[in-house]
Amino acid sequence: MSIILSLNNVRKNFGATEIIRGVSLDIKRGEKHAIIGPNGAGKSTLYHLISGRHNVTSGTIKFKDKEIQNKPPFEIARLGLARSFQVTNIFPRLNVFENIRCALLWSNDYRYSFWHLLGKQTELNEKAMHVLEQIGLKDKALYPSGELAYAQQRALELGIAVASDAELIMLDEPVAGMSHSEAENAVELIKRITQGKTLIMVEHDMNIVFDVADRISVLVYGELIATDEPKNIRANQKVQEAYLGEVATSA
Amino acid sequence: MGLIKKLSVWIGYLVALLVAPLFFDSILAISILNQMTIAIIFALSYNMLLGQGGMLSFGHAVYFGLGGFLAVHALILIEHETVFFSITFIPAIGGIIGLLAAVFIGSFSTRKAGTVFAMISLGIGELVASSSLIFSDFFGGEAGISGDRTFGPLFFGFDFAQNIEIYYLSAVWVFIATIFMYLFTQTPAGRMANAVRENPERAEFIGYSARKVRFISFCASGLFAGIAGGLFALNYEFITEENLNAITSGRVLLMAYIGGLGYFIGPIIGAVILTLMNSLLSNYSELWMLYLGIMFLLTVMFLPKGFAGFIMMHQTAWVKGSLKQLAVPYLITGIPALLFSTACVAIIEMSASEEEVFHYLGMELNPHSIFTWVIAIIIVVASFYATRRSLLQLANAWESANEIPDSKDSES
Repeated sequence: MSIILSLNNVRKNFGATEIIRGVSLDIKRGEKHAIIGPNGAGKSTLYHLISGRHNVTSGTIKFKDKEIQNKPPFEIARLGLARSFQVTNIFPRLNVFENIRCALLWSNDYRYSFWHLLGKQTELNEKAMHVLEQIGLKDKALYPSGELAYAQQRALELGIAVASDAELIMLDEPVAGMSHSEAENAVELIKRITQGKTLIMVEHDMNIVFDVADRISVLVYGELIATDEPKNIRANQKVQEAYLGEVATSA
Repeated sequence: MGLIKKLSVWIGYLVALLVAPLFFDSILAISILNQMTIAIIFALSYNMLLGQGGMLSFGHAVYFGLGGFLAVHALILIEHETVFFSITFIPAIGGIIGLLAAVFIGSFSTRKAGTVFAMISLGIGELVASSSLIFSDFFGGEAGISGDRTFGPLFFGFDFAQNIEIYYLSAVWVFIATIFMYLFTQTPAGRMANAVRENPERAEFIGYSARKVRFISFCASGLFAGIAGGLFALNYEFITEENLNAITSGRVLLMAYIGGLGYFIGPIIGAVILTLMNSLLSNYSELWMLYLGIMFLLTVMFLPKGFAGFIMMHQTAWVKGSLKQLAVPYLITGIPALLFSTACVAIIEMSASEEEVFHYLGMELNPHSIFTWVIAIIIVVASFYATRRSLLQLANAWESANEIPDSKDSES
């Protein structure tokens, strides 16, 4: 399998504090990769570095063999890297359909067009409806997205991330704050819509992580202490001490 | 069916524009109608920034004024026969200048929205307004510059000497401009302007540079503001520094806000209301700006979605057919509220009046008599109390008129 995303000795300081301390990681094309670690380990920061929200202090990030570190988010997104957010990050006063359609515009080559009328773009509108169907919000299409229930907003958040048909999808705690049954549905949804794509996921729920992931990376205090298949991670002494052990004793 | 329904609004708009001077045909009315057409384009262009793009501008008159100044210069060139074209195209010149100015200024001012954008717009507004007084060869200093619209080739036999002819020319321009501004909201650039207004960060993660999206809206807005400036030049045949300074910028903000930022039609309503107040109220009272200010405050506090929002609030009741249930409750609250406002106006006017006898609503009041004041204050207090008391019944009536009965498709 080829490598789609490659981090090489990535570091990030906020002032004097080193948050990410030399992370190197290769993500294979088509794999489902989970990043786990205790709170404050730097998982979200790592996401922000990859997706362009923050600049790296040093190191390189290559996506499809192109260096993307320190590029603005929109340039990275255009290459085919999409992400969701831990805190729901949608367009609240636009309706659900518009949220998805906006997410489709760039990848369908509309760019900054002011000469296409959206109402007449049948193919685009069908695609948007198709995404809504996948995420189970078709009957809410014309609903202001800010007024959706929490789980539905999370589904929409996911929908915006996957709509553009990006090759690499990064989800940040996609089921955080959901009830057990909602989370189960969400995991089914994630599996379904990321089929054939590369997925990176930050998640705290170990059942979900071991269910979805092909490989798992463990991030502790800004350093990767292990990257391996789930069964090896479970058996890994260092991981157990640093992370799983903590869970086991507290549980 | 759907198409006819969609087009019916536009046909209605066109008809209203065309027949308005038949009903209001006095010289004053035609002049007000002309001001309205200018204000409508200007306010709609402003809403492209604030309502649709989330950019609060305190300097939108810059594009209006620069367009207007160049338009007057174009009139002068036509008069001197340096150039030869019909004055009907003057608004296009205004538009091009507005666009060019917006391209230049927008290239750095749209980097951020919010406070940064607002402050830059304020600075640019002041800069251009004061420059216009300094470069008096071009801007004519305090007196401004003037032209004459009756030169150049006739346009199908019209020389546009009459105000009514200018009105019909303006009506065509305002109709076309409104269509294009509406269509803009339906394009990818227009829709992404909404998305960037809502959440610029997320817009960047779906492939759009928030800055570029803002820039495009900004340029489109400048273009239409310039067209409005060109129409102003044609209508008045002169233009001064006042047309590009903060007063004009503030006025267009008020129009868009009072009309309703969230609705395409809002600024049109605001433009009509403010033009009427500006032209009619100012005949009756020197304090009309004060009333305008109070109206703005009340709108911000009680009708944050403006007049358009107030009208749209009644949609549910309209669909339900329960709108008539609201008529009596509105009257019960409306009458004391009206009494309250007239009494307040009386007190304000009496305070400002220097005359012995104060004429008000057919009455002759003596502002120096304590008796007049006591009566007025009693009416103010009593009607305020009555209005407060009646609000509860209005709220109840509102609730029952908008109550959605349990039906099969209601959300469980």
